[in-house]
Amino acid sequence: MNAPDRHVFQAQANNARRWEAAAVWVFRCATYSVLVCGALVFGKIVFQGSQTVFTTKAPFINTAFFTESPETLHVFEFEGKKMELGDRDFRALKAANPAAKDLRSETFVYSAGGIFPAIAGTVLLVIGSMTIALTLGVSAAIYLSEYATQGRLVTAIRISILNLAGVPSIVFGLFGVGLFVIFFDWNVSLLAGWFTLALMVLPVVITASEESLKSVPQGFREGSLALGATKWQTIRTNVLPYAMPGILTSSILGIARVAGETAPIMFTAAYAMRDKLPWEDLTHYSDFVFQGVMALPYHIYVVSSKIPQNEYTERVQYGTAFVFLMIVALIATTSILLRNHLRNRYRW
Amino acid sequence: MDAPRPAHDPEFLVNKTRVRVLGLSLDDAVKFFFGGNAFISVVVLTLITYFLFQEGFGFFGQNQRSLLTYRQAGLEYVDFIRTQESGHTALTRYISDLRLRQFNELTTVRKLDLEAANAQLAAFDEFSGQFSDGVDPLRGLLSDLTEQATAIKTKFLVAEDKKVERQQLVDAGKSVEAAAVKIDQIDFPAELKVLTGALPLYRTASAEFAAKLTAALAKAPTLSNPELATRLIRLRELTSDYIATFPATLRSLETWDYTRPVPWYQSATSFITGRQWLTASFWQDWYGIVPLFMGSLMVSLVALLIAVPFGVGAAIYINQMASAREQRIVKPCIEFISAFPSVVLGFFGIAVLGQALRLLSQQEWLAWVPGFPFSERLNILTAGCLLALIAVPTIFTLAEDALQNVPKAFKEASFALGATRLQTIIRIVVPASLSGIISAVLLGLGRVIGETMVVLLCAGNRIAIPDFTAGLAVITQPVHTMTGIIAQEMGEVVQGSIHYRALFVVGLVLFFLSLAINFLAQKIVRKYRISIG
Repeated sequence: MNAPDRHVFQAQANNARRWEAAAVWVFRCATYSVLVCGALVFGKIVFQGSQTVFTTKAPFINTAFFTESPETLHVFEFEGKKMELGDRDFRALKAANPAAKDLRSETFVYSAGGIFPAIAGTVLLVIGSMTIALTLGVSAAIYLSEYATQGRLVTAIRISILNLAGVPSIVFGLFGVGLFVIFFDWNVSLLAGWFTLALMVLPVVITASEESLKSVPQGFREGSLALGATKWQTIRTNVLPYAMPGILTSSILGIARVAGETAPIMFTAAYAMRDKLPWEDLTHYSDFVFQGVMALPYHIYVVSSKIPQNEYTERVQYGTAFVFLMIVALIATTSILLRNHLRNRYRW
Repeated sequence: MDAPRPAHDPEFLVNKTRVRVLGLSLDDAVKFFFGGNAFISVVVLTLITYFLFQEGFGFFGQNQRSLLTYRQAGLEYVDFIRTQESGHTALTRYISDLRLRQFNELTTVRKLDLEAANAQLAAFDEFSGQFSDGVDPLRGLLSDLTEQATAIKTKFLVAEDKKVERQQLVDAGKSVEAAAVKIDQIDFPAELKVLTGALPLYRTASAEFAAKLTAALAKAPTLSNPELATRLIRLRELTSDYIATFPATLRSLETWDYTRPVPWYQSATSFITGRQWLTASFWQDWYGIVPLFMGSLMVSLVALLIAVPFGVGAAIYINQMASAREQRIVKPCIEFISAFPSVVLGFFGIAVLGQALRLLSQQEWLAWVPGFPFSERLNILTAGCLLALIAVPTIFTLAEDALQNVPKAFKEASFALGATRLQTIIRIVVPASLSGIISAVLLGLGRVIGETMVVLLCAGNRIAIPDFTAGLAVITQPVHTMTGIIAQEMGEVVQGSIHYRALFVVGLVLFFLSLAINFLAQKIVRKYRISIG
């Protein structure tokens, strides 16, 4: 009945196997369709955004977009030509040309110039909040992994960390308004944004740090303690150096989160538009931390919701989204690659 | 006993000299420093709770006063009549819908040109004109009363402001200036006489209104199409039901009493069960969380409906079916998707997805899908699709962890009994890790319900309870959400105002919702953890 050359243990094509093959394909399609969706979003923004960011002439990068402040775009017809100019150039043209004095133009806010202040603001926000978050988070992780013994306090701390991780970012924003902006009277400022973002990302940093501290073998500590080192000496010389790469890599994911969040900084740190750069015109050095800044995610929100969609505004919208997505994607990729690399390197 | 202690304990050669500051050695100090930092997470959680309560709690008192003013200034009284009037508006909308259908039939089925069709509908237009004009006497009365009630309310609010001003002057020690602040005493019974005195007018207006409606209906033209004819009959029923509510309105007007106290719990219940979120209105502000909550819920449900099959499916595939190489490539890619900033996804929704979905819905061959075609670019579906992309990586990662934790022996035992791979996965691995998968879905829900930027940009921002009578088509309606309303209105409100505090209460609701979801997820994992052995 069976074909004569069939091996006894060869898989038989029965219904169960056919079902299995079908199921594998269903699951495979589910997996890859997620990837396709992600790739579509990514691709669309990269494709459209790169038209703003890159140019066909040397140096192939639209430097104005990276170095200038946002301006209002004027679209008008002058001497029979259709022209688009930023606000400053438009005024200059009006001043230089008497014929252009009463020129009427269609205006689109934020659609000319660049996004440099937003990039600078985001960098400042990320640096400050990650410094705070790393200091607090790594210390907390050292306590939890090296010192803590089972007890009520430690249980409370662990429960708090778990719950903090689930609190919506907009609630952190409200909390930042209540505590930093109003109660401490810091107003809308870098400082308020730093602390709000740092507290939001704290659970991520603590969990990641604790994991890498725990992965340092117990023998390292015991060896050091047996040689007569104190606990702190042990941690400093025999635990932290080996855990640090892991802590830093995992914390990079925290950076991606801090850079990507909009809701917490909407009311604590971000301005829709600010002419001055953060380091300009400071009367006192403390003014630096008590000023609001522009930030990339908030800028995207502003340009995508407050101005209409058309061919003129589209450039700045996609351009900003592209730059922002690239920054965050770069951080995330670095983190993921480094982590995979570390996993292979350290095997105790 | 008296002998001096030796400087060194002879037993031990190593002696660590320790500097003590405030009775703490360096080691202790380091330990306390780290412990203090760890304790910060507890402090932060407490502070979040405290500040949300501190800023939000005043809402209930202010809302209570607002409701009291609503009653005392007679706004409630006028709103009885307003409800009656808006019932009529709903009926006229039904009629114009009827006309549109009839018109479409005339032009498309019977191929009449526009003018001929309009001529055919002349009788119907006369009827609908009569029907909608019937409300005129009532509407006139209503607008008079509205003005009067507004005047009373304004007077009252001015007096309240003056009181505050005087109190501030007294607090500042300026008693002379304080005495100079003149506060009008509001004589509510006298002021309200204007409103309650209009009751006879209302009686006649209402009776006239009812008579006109009945008269108009009696002259209603007959419609040839059987379906439209049944709709006309339905209109008759609706109208007679509507007229039957008039006596009840009259009764509430007659028995209305401005001195009836507003119970203390009403400011809370009006928030929790309130079906309107209406701010900065000239009439009365309403802070009801139901439309926002329903909006958040609907968007999250749609997102989860899409995300759960894909997220869990991908986790099962990657963990149980894929080759090692596929795993190495796909896992980082999905993690990479989780790094997409939500505001970029929101922008994508506005710029691309909303339009694309609308175009898709207008395709002829998709007309059978409930809710298709739709005209609103930004709606529950658009936001839900994008939120699903956010939720998938969360669900995938956690579910994959849960699958990974299933002991190998379970699988091996199943294979040994002759089960195929699919049978093993469905009957053994997935049930064994079900608690982990459920908690992954719950945490995905927490992530989605707390997401702000996508819903703010893509959910359509219409503050209304989704119309569930539309069936499944409900997912193509625009909504507003709890997170979205905070993000949208927080920047514009006056600090300390009732609106500001209401937003904090919404935040409080979100906060406790997220805590509850988290708690449930942890509980499920802990309770149903697989024990090996």
